[in-house]
Amino acid sequence: MLDGSAEAISGLIEPGRIHRRVYTDADIFELEMERIFGRAWVFVGHESQVPNPGDYRTTDIGRQPVILIRHSDGGVRVLLNRCSHRGARICNAPCGTMKRLTCPYHGWSFDTDGTLRSVPMPEGAAPDFDLADFGLAVVPRMEIYRGFVFVSLSPGESSLDDHLGPMKANIDDLVDRAPDGAIALDAGMHRYVYRGNWKLQIENVLDSYHVPFAHVSTVNKKGEQFSRREGDEKGAKVVDDGQRTSAAWKGRRSYVVSHGHGWTSNTALDDSKRSSPAWNAYVKALAASVGRERADEILTPRLHNSLIYPNMSVMGLNIHVRVIRPISVDLTEVNVFPVRLLGAPDEMNARNIRLLNVTHSAASFVQTDDLEIFARTQMGLRSQMTEWVDISRGLGAEEPDRDYNATRESAMHEMVIRAQYKAWLDYMSEAA
Amino acid sequence: MTDLLMAPGVGQPGGVPGIAREPFELFLIHEARLLDARRFEDWMNLFTEDGVYWVPARSGQDDPDLEASLFYDDREMMKTRFDRLNHPLIHVQTPPSRTLHLVSNVVVEQADEAAGEFVISSSMLMTEYRLDNQRLFAGRQQHRLVKHGDTYRIAFKRVDIINCDSALEAMAVPI
Repeated sequence: MLDGSAEAISGLIEPGRIHRRVYTDADIFELEMERIFGRAWVFVGHESQVPNPGDYRTTDIGRQPVILIRHSDGGVRVLLNRCSHRGARICNAPCGTMKRLTCPYHGWSFDTDGTLRSVPMPEGAAPDFDLADFGLAVVPRMEIYRGFVFVSLSPGESSLDDHLGPMKANIDDLVDRAPDGAIALDAGMHRYVYRGNWKLQIENVLDSYHVPFAHVSTVNKKGEQFSRREGDEKGAKVVDDGQRTSAAWKGRRSYVVSHGHGWTSNTALDDSKRSSPAWNAYVKALAASVGRERADEILTPRLHNSLIYPNMSVMGLNIHVRVIRPISVDLTEVNVFPVRLLGAPDEMNARNIRLLNVTHSAASFVQTDDLEIFARTQMGLRSQMTEWVDISRGLGAEEPDRDYNATRESAMHEMVIRAQYKAWLDYMSEAA
Repeated sequence: MTDLLMAPGVGQPGGVPGIAREPFELFLIHEARLLDARRFEDWMNLFTEDGVYWVPARSGQDDPDLEASLFYDDREMMKTRFDRLNHPLIHVQTPPSRTLHLVSNVVVEQADEAAGEFVISSSMLMTEYRLDNQRLFAGRQQHRLVKHGDTYRIAFKRVDIINCDSALEAMAVPI
């Protein structure tokens, strides 16, 4: 049993290694729910998912059920999905529309901002019972950046602006691709679970070292991946003739900033040859909206994956927003939302949705091998004789990057994971 | 012919009068056996050149261009999928799944004998075993079949599995 003190927690993380208990210990998981998901800014959804008053979506902050809802004043609210009376979960569906939130148990009825409006048989209420004391709990902090709704359960947490810092540019990188300058995450979602710790998916998002091995089955005899972008003839060259990681792949870089966030540089693809009717129509629409020069700038890929610690990522190649939902120490749900670029031709959005089925559905070519690896890692980490997980690649080789105001290293190395555990330690060392 | 993009409803009891279901039932049984035998190329070749295989990710979904799907493969995508399934280092199929399909409740929903086109609905169960885990998929299938010599080709196949919108563990083989 871990005592949860800063000393005990810090003993689990060393400069180039992590103790296996970080992935396998249920007590540590409980502390993570309290000290990370109970405090950090976490992504809960996107404004486009609740366009009209009464529209709602249900999700969790850590394991706590919440409702993202559009109130009649036009603003978005995030409410605890728990009746203030006896605790029943009020909204059961993944999404829907309601004028009032009515508890199925005793019929308490709440407005879309959480205000308690009525209680059946009010004559039986205690003498000092006041409706105003029994609204649905509203999360203490909520801020929105370009439609991305983030919340923190800790009133004392610094602003979302401080938290995101340079990562706002990574969100911009995605949103600016829309000719109308806005995106919608309203094209369904891919849902899957794996029998492994949530941090295995977080670490994997920016791990480029694994691709030629874990995803070798997606590579043809020439070492090229299948085409993953609209308008490309072929995918990235990942493996060289000698069955080793290709030079182009090796050249990729990773970057970290504060709070565990980071990203990887773009996959090497031939952008000059990119062409298809859908793609060309989209480029035209974007140029008509923002001008040719700016369109060229937006469409010159810069980012592959961005991680906004602790629970979301944005992918620039097969555009999507991914949310990581811890369920227990060895069970994790992942939700992948296709992105609709508003103002783009329907055919382009359709192509992006179709390509994402192939790369990131529960039946996809890419993500399924990752899920298998996560489960195998969780099994491997049961071994107690070897206590440590090695994350030392590139340790000491980090260098400042002035262009991005970030720290830079080879994407074949593990700087990004070390940065995640620095943030993990910062959150975990302090009682919530 | 009904657009199979629409989610299936309850058709006419007994199906189309005068059209025997048996040849279609035997075709669907053959299709299921190819999948269970992991003869994926042969399964793919049951589709017409422009044939499509669709497994929606939401109950009632009616447009694969507007929403995420579990599978939405044309022949080219199927080929990429099966090249990968034949790769010796496909980790999610090491060891491979074993599956058993049952196809039942076969009904000829529509028939245009002159054009050689038929819509067949059926219920399916697929039990999948892999690495000490067994799981069950249940769904309603709709096939748009076109006459091809003395057999049929699949122009469109839609499978609505009842838990399509749940959080699924990795799926590597077609339903």
